[in-house]
Amino acid sequence: MSYLTCTRLTTWTLAAVLLQIFGLSFFLYGFFPVKPALSGVSGPESYRSPMCEPVKDLEEKILPPDRLRSLYKEMSGIPLSFDRLILMVVDGLPAEFVLGKGDQPPTKVMLEAMPYTQSLLSSGMAVGYHAKAAPPTVTMPRLKAIVSGAIGGFLDVAFNFNTQALLDDNIVGQFYNISWKMVMHGDETWLKLFPGFFTRHDGVSSFYVKDTIEVDHNVSRHLKTELIADDWNLLILHYLGLDHVGHIGGRNSILMSPKLKEMDEVVKMIHMNKILPQDDPHGQTLLVLVSDHGMTGNGNHGGSSYDETDSLAVFIGLRSKVPDYASATNNAAFQVDIAPTLALLFGVPIPKNNIGVLIEGTFASLTDDQWLRALELNSWQLLRLLQAQLPHLSQGLPCKDPTVEQYSQISKCSGSAELKFRCLISNAAALHDAWRLNGARGFRNNSRDDFRGTVAAYYEFLRTASEWLSRRATDKPLDLLAFGVITMFVSCLILFWLCKEVYNKQKQCFPNLYRSNYTMHSDESFVSIAILIYIFSMGSSSIVEEEQYIWHFMTSTLYLIFFRRSIQSLPAGQTPNLLNVSNGQKCSNYSHTCSIIFVLICGRVLRGWHQGGVNWTHLPDISKWLEQAGLHSIIYIQIASVVLVISLGSWALYLLRPKSAFVPVVHISFVISGILVLLHNIEHQEHTLITSNYSTTSIAQIIYATISMSVITIVIASPWLMPISLYKTRSTSRFHLMSSHSIDIHKRTPELGLRGAAYLIGWTYIVFWCLIQLLLQKPINAVPIILVLLQILASMYYFSMPELHHKQWVEVAAFYFLGMAGHFGLGNSNTLATIDVAGAFISLYITCRYHNVCYYLCITTVDFS
Amino acid sequence: MEKTTAEASSDQNVSVPVSIWEAFRLHLICGLGLAVAFWVAHNIYSIDLISNPDQTLFLIWVIETPIIIGVYSISRWNPKQCSFLKAVGHGLLGIPAGAFLNAFGAIVLGAPIGFLYIKRTISWSLLMSLFTFAPAASVFGSSWNNWQRLFVYAKPAGIVDYMICLPAHGTVIGAWLGAWPMPLDWERPWQEWPISVSYGAIAGYIIGMVASLGFIFMFDRRRPHVKGD
Repeated sequence: MSYLTCTRLTTWTLAAVLLQIFGLSFFLYGFFPVKPALSGVSGPESYRSPMCEPVKDLEEKILPPDRLRSLYKEMSGIPLSFDRLILMVVDGLPAEFVLGKGDQPPTKVMLEAMPYTQSLLSSGMAVGYHAKAAPPTVTMPRLKAIVSGAIGGFLDVAFNFNTQALLDDNIVGQFYNISWKMVMHGDETWLKLFPGFFTRHDGVSSFYVKDTIEVDHNVSRHLKTELIADDWNLLILHYLGLDHVGHIGGRNSILMSPKLKEMDEVVKMIHMNKILPQDDPHGQTLLVLVSDHGMTGNGNHGGSSYDETDSLAVFIGLRSKVPDYASATNNAAFQVDIAPTLALLFGVPIPKNNIGVLIEGTFASLTDDQWLRALELNSWQLLRLLQAQLPHLSQGLPCKDPTVEQYSQISKCSGSAELKFRCLISNAAALHDAWRLNGARGFRNNSRDDFRGTVAAYYEFLRTASEWLSRRATDKPLDLLAFGVITMFVSCLILFWLCKEVYNKQKQCFPNLYRSNYTMHSDESFVSIAILIYIFSMGSSSIVEEEQYIWHFMTSTLYLIFFRRSIQSLPAGQTPNLLNVSNGQKCSNYSHTCSIIFVLICGRVLRGWHQGGVNWTHLPDISKWLEQAGLHSIIYIQIASVVLVISLGSWALYLLRPKSAFVPVVHISFVISGILVLLHNIEHQEHTLITSNYSTTSIAQIIYATISMSVITIVIASPWLMPISLYKTRSTSRFHLMSSHSIDIHKRTPELGLRGAAYLIGWTYIVFWCLIQLLLQKPINAVPIILVLLQILASMYYFSMPELHHKQWVEVAAFYFLGMAGHFGLGNSNTLATIDVAGAFISLYITCRYHNVCYYLCITTVDFS
Repeated sequence: MEKTTAEASSDQNVSVPVSIWEAFRLHLICGLGLAVAFWVAHNIYSIDLISNPDQTLFLIWVIETPIIIGVYSISRWNPKQCSFLKAVGHGLLGIPAGAFLNAFGAIVLGAPIGFLYIKRTISWSLLMSLFTFAPAASVFGSSWNNWQRLFVYAKPAGIVDYMICLPAHGTVIGAWLGAWPMPLDWERPWQEWPISVSYGAIAGYIIGMVASLGFIFMFDRRRPHVKGD
């Protein structure tokens, strides 16, 4: 066994902790790669080639919507085919129901369920696509993909805290910019994504899954009036019923074909009223029937199986006729392709972060020239996106004036991504230029071949680029992840080795504590089992959703086990007390037991304060009740909690029985900062309507300054200023001394001095942390903070019970459990989307608990070195 | 001190003659009582645990209380000092005390509070108390040493100890495990408080009875051997 000195132990521990931090940062960096997405909105510049150096011109100012609309029309060179768009979203409709799977037509039941749509497809009036969706196949990200053409990364949730509005460039925003009037009926997710965009809307909630009739009736009842009204350009209908049918009865539910019939009726009604009359004075209408995702056999969705990603896109009302049923149904595309297609069909720029490709067959009514122009615009947009990801791509791109005759060599493309893209786009551009020149000169002998070659070249570039970009959006750098995990693992190994060494050392020093026939206590085995349960629970998404219940359940169970153990040390009541155990001893045992009951009750109140999680948030809880009761009661509660924190802090401070003048100084700093927090809260309540005003922020700054100064002073000064000799009389104030192993310590006064200092530092830290939380948190969270503080205090009191020999790791685990339960008790959750910015520092709260625990570890280390 | 009390009580306990067959008969009566209670609930009152949890639990409790208390009062700890009626009285007094403790534990672990749930919590905790506390109260009265030995140290020393200790622990652990599916999003009617917990508790009780028979069998085989020495 290597000889473990104090310094070596410290260096190894520090090294292991640093390794852990490094590993974690590498892992996070790999797991959340920050992708250079383009910010802002596509404007007129998207009609200019990105291959040349950007020419700054002055017309990039904000134009009025109608000027913008005509500018777009003029610059794009593509005539508008349609004036109005009806986007009909049927939630969860698998494309298989309408188009069949592979070469097979849909089943007979499905064919009979949607007679009108099928007749449209077979007569060539409509063309349908299997629009493959990207995981996660849930509504909100899919709608974003449909309108913006982009696949979101993980971090886009984190970047827009709490706001669900779609900030990326998208076609709905583009339509809004050219002052389209938009109407939405259906799933209220649209209203969350586009607040204030719709002139009329009726949002239905997807909350009550059992309802399959009313959700759709609420959409369809508006249909008649909307079809007669002519003030809108975009009508979005989002039907949720089919998804609900799937959730209740699965893919083959008996409710499915009536629901499909209902959808078919809607398609029929729109087609009869809006698309068939060719001489509509309000212009041509295009109906796009899409679904956001498919569903599995039992109606679930979210994953990446074929059944879930097989979503539908049917274009009804395109000018050109499709020759036969097979070519109208047997088409593949991607869901992201819908956005650029709609953008160019309706004369707006393609959204900036789009990775989709124009859908072949939807532009068949255009001339060859216009069709190539559309492909060119799509390529330019993708090229811009590629340039953001590959900064060297723009070097060596052919920047030329198309009027100058110049033939580039058409070459085979291979090599690195940059070379390949450069080559592919050059090829396509060269072919396009050649075709254009030939057209201008008037000889178009083999123009069909040239045209086909150019389209193929464009599509080769577009497909390659789109594929590469979508892979980039979901790929994770595996080597980085593996490196991070290995680093963390090595760090764990070092820590385990250290623990073993310390354990052996302890065994040598205190052989009486470690008897050979050591059996695990119930609390120790429970902590181990709880950690295992927690690890396995991570595998089930429905448990992860309700993680707060797990933590509360585990914490309470652990404390109930502590309760049982503390009863073990209670003296048997009926045995004659010959030894005359002092009454005070017995009394203190009872009070220790009571402290556990106190922790348990606090924990229950804390759990009842906020209903967290996913499924049960609507149930009543204390915070909702208080908020209903009114603002005043909350303010009084908040003030009371600040006072309580200060008094608790002072009380625990004077348990030290200090004779040094330093402790009152600490006490004064507690009181001053407490009063400042109180002032700030009262001030802030008076100005609830004003979001930030000068005096409150200045008070907050003063509080930060006071607190940080006090903490630094106490941390530096207390080891020197806490007099060692004081701790000889410690029998009454043993509570703070946390001694799990209080044997043999009577003679070690220097260590006791250090313990006193550590206690002082830890306690200062906790009190100041509570004060800062009271400052930053919502007023409603004042009581949970107090409860957490009380729980910590009561547990510290319990662990100081002399008869108990809890292992230190059990104590650490107990505090960790309390911390996690407290984290959720403050209304936080484990999803990024619900982070409350005001409470964003709360995760540090757990770190505080960790520090608290670190002091314990320090104490032990000092003990055994 | 712990050891001496344990030894003392085990000495007293061994003096109570309960054979393995008696234990088997006793458990059989309790188990049959449970079955009868379910049968009555289902066929006579046509209620079940899922649709009417509080009434069903209360019905089971009403039917099972005289059986369990009566049966355990017969095999009471010191029949000479304590009459049968006194043991029954102890058992009846033990039920509300145990119900209070069980309800406290359940609420602390997260059972809902509110007017809707009060009736359910009361009937559930009465039944839990019947399975855990009433047998011990009937047999041992208020002898703290025995209670501590059984429930705090979980060190049964004798056939009656096994008969009380294992079903009681089985009930509590079963109820604890039964609470796990409650917060999940399966949308099943039995996820309501206290249905799954009651199912877990009853299953734990039955498993505890079977396990206690097994332990008693082992204990019984070892005992004559010890005596022979």
